[in-house]
Amino acid sequence: MTEVSSNPDLLSMSAITKRFPGVIALQDVSLSLKAGEVLSLMGENGAGKSTLMKILGGAHLPDEGQIAVGGKPATITGVSEAKRLGIALIHQELMLAPNLDIAANIFLGNEGPGGLIQKLNRGQMNAKAAALMSRVGLNLPPTTPVSLLTTGQMQMVEIAKALSVNARIIIMDEPTSSLTSGESEQLFKIIRQLRDEQIGIIYISHRMEEVLELSDRITVLRDGRYVGDLLRAEATQDKIVAMMVGRELSNQYFPPKHTKPPGEPVLVVDGLLVPGAPEGATFSALRGEILGFAGLVGSGRTEMMETIFGVTRALGGTMTLEGKPYAPKTPRAAIDRGVYLAPEDRKKHGLVLPMSVAQNTSLPNMAKYSKWSILDRPSERKVAEAEVLRLRTKTPSILQKVVNLSGGNQQKVVLGKWLAMNPRVLILDEPTRGIDVGAKAEIYRHMAALADEGIAILMVSSDMEEVIGMSDRVVVMHERRIKGVLPRESLTQQRIATLMTGRTEGTAAA
Amino acid sequence: MRRELGIFVALFVMCVALFISNPDFLGQSNAMNTARQISMLGIYTIGIGFVIITGGIDLSIGSVVGLTGVIIAKFSSAAAGGMGLSLWIGIPVALGAALLIGLGQGLLITRLKLQPFIVTLGGMLLIRGISQTIVQGGTISFGNSPFLELANGGFLQVGGDPILPYPTLIFLVVIAVGTYVLHFTVFGRYVYAIGGNRDAAEYSGINVKRVETLTYVISAGLGGVAGVCYAAYIGQMSQQVGVAYELYAIAAAVLGGCSLRGGEGTVLGMIIGAGVMRVIDNGINMFQVRYEDADKVPRIWRLNANWTFIIIGAVILQAVVLDQVVHMVQAARRTRRAGAAAAASTGQKIEVAPPAKAG
Repeated sequence: MTEVSSNPDLLSMSAITKRFPGVIALQDVSLSLKAGEVLSLMGENGAGKSTLMKILGGAHLPDEGQIAVGGKPATITGVSEAKRLGIALIHQELMLAPNLDIAANIFLGNEGPGGLIQKLNRGQMNAKAAALMSRVGLNLPPTTPVSLLTTGQMQMVEIAKALSVNARIIIMDEPTSSLTSGESEQLFKIIRQLRDEQIGIIYISHRMEEVLELSDRITVLRDGRYVGDLLRAEATQDKIVAMMVGRELSNQYFPPKHTKPPGEPVLVVDGLLVPGAPEGATFSALRGEILGFAGLVGSGRTEMMETIFGVTRALGGTMTLEGKPYAPKTPRAAIDRGVYLAPEDRKKHGLVLPMSVAQNTSLPNMAKYSKWSILDRPSERKVAEAEVLRLRTKTPSILQKVVNLSGGNQQKVVLGKWLAMNPRVLILDEPTRGIDVGAKAEIYRHMAALADEGIAILMVSSDMEEVIGMSDRVVVMHERRIKGVLPRESLTQQRIATLMTGRTEGTAAA
Repeated sequence: MRRELGIFVALFVMCVALFISNPDFLGQSNAMNTARQISMLGIYTIGIGFVIITGGIDLSIGSVVGLTGVIIAKFSSAAAGGMGLSLWIGIPVALGAALLIGLGQGLLITRLKLQPFIVTLGGMLLIRGISQTIVQGGTISFGNSPFLELANGGFLQVGGDPILPYPTLIFLVVIAVGTYVLHFTVFGRYVYAIGGNRDAAEYSGINVKRVETLTYVISAGLGGVAGVCYAAYIGQMSQQVGVAYELYAIAAAVLGGCSLRGGEGTVLGMIIGAGVMRVIDNGINMFQVRYEDADKVPRIWRLNANWTFIIIGAVILQAVVLDQVVHMVQAARRTRRAGAAAAASTGQKIEVAPPAKAG
């Protein structure tokens, strides 16, 4: 199809190829963006989205292919060149200095023509900042410290920063991943407004509903290759997923729920007062069940899990594990009772990245892999090998440093270290975040198998499909309170969403 | 091990060059003295290495070295200013004080979550002040106490000098135990895990506070052991002994491959690092060039002793620069290859691309 248009492509990338040692990250990928268009870029993790965007942002040079910005060929050799071309990349992890105020952040690196010695004209900066802020609907004094802002407001500061350098192309990488639904709505409003101002927007997100709601067009990548484009009118969730995974998602994606009736309570939580929560939490996890925890970011699920795991101490209430009192003061105490946590942020809390797969696997259980405190490396390696085999972790060797593994395989290392220790209660906080579909399905299968073995699994998840697909029952939280516990029969997206957003539902109590 | 090998080659080349320039470098007297110096530095370098691998820092070591000697002099010297008690009282008290200092600093750092830099900086000044108060700003001599044998004596006497001085013997024991603890025990594994990711270590059930506190006890304890050796070696204690020694140890550890970010380093590297520091020090005295001046009079050119710090500083900087440059060259080579490919393909295909439209 040759499209002759009076509206030339604002950006065109054609036949882009990028190789890294041992892997072709992008092969022959093309992408175009028009002014006043919202283009969503979709693909599983590892599909090449971030590499493509890093090329646009000037962090990588492509090995082959051409880029044209505003119709002119461009070689984006660095971040400053990208900026000069009017390309602004807003990272998932926001790049703001929390110790400076909004105006200082907006103009950071762009304070004026005078170099380092110039006097900052705060009055002018604040006035300009205020104008930019009103464009993104941020009604705060420009002198507000960024550390006081919510994540949603910080996002707006990033956008204002992009506008301050007259960006014509704004790339947003998972902007809603840590926003509340209200903040997301606000963001969408601003995105539409920018679109109307003829700015081109590349939107990267894993959330189907958002993508369908927002995009004019959707480009799908898979395994570093271009799969195709979908126009808004023709796009459906099923079509996108089919393009992303190369197959129709069937119900096999989630393993069938086991039919064994759940057993007696393993972990009974009674009035547990988590620091920062307005009231105590009460629920119990049964032997062989997967108890889902649904809620928005900030609803207090992770904090509750950390209290159960002994990272933070409860301010009140009691817990009972297998009939005996359970009040862990440290993770060690929890681990000694068979309660394990695979944390939400596995790089920060779950793994020692510069250490090997074997060393990470053995870390919580060194007593077993040592005699009189002396390391017993052969036994450590044997167990690590066994876990790598069981979970089918893709690693060249158990001596490989985990920093070199992909997200899915890193998560398997976290799981392996706990599975090697016979869990009683396994807490999985966002077990499949940032993991590709293949590894996801495998992790789901393992979870189902573990539940069948009689382990109680507490699963925190922000992925509604995952919550409904995997859980036997679901605890729904809102603003650090338990709003309801839904039994398996009444697990619908609608009922969970109602409770998650704080509305009460007469029938929700269980 | 790349870093260890690199620095070992550098040490070896330095030694060969010094030997060629001045064969006395490996003469028994100089070689034994250098071995003694390397040993005394190496002992507390291994101590501070434990702290550095957890990602911490201990600036108080030099002051601990000084205080141990001052305490021994105060208790056990028979000369003016000393109490003339048995060495069997002085040495244990001194070592006990060192261990307590390490424990105190470790507890402050881990229990109150204070920054190691500022706690040990405070410790450094405070301990130095205690030494100063004990010696009353003056000097306490050990006279001809048998204590001096600890530094000057040793095994296998040949001529007047021992082949194996006691400090070197102590160093060998510290190396053996240090290697064992750091590389073969659960404690050592935890030290690396904490340096690699403190939070993940905590979430894996490691008692991070206890392990970290112990590294400060080890650091101060080995500082104390080194302090005993230095006291015997110098023979008289003033407040000045040990000033800035912690910086030598940090430099030696970093030269040997420890990263101040934590998680990296080996005992072998620390030994080699200590060797480099002391061989440079000694080399500045030993290096010479023989030549004949215009009148055919044989002369010897030597390095100016005032240049010592310039040379040591330059060596440390060039070592870390070299290490970083190797990293960057490797990275740049990859980028250049990619860049060349990109430029080539752009150049070829731009001609067939449609003419640029006005944006």
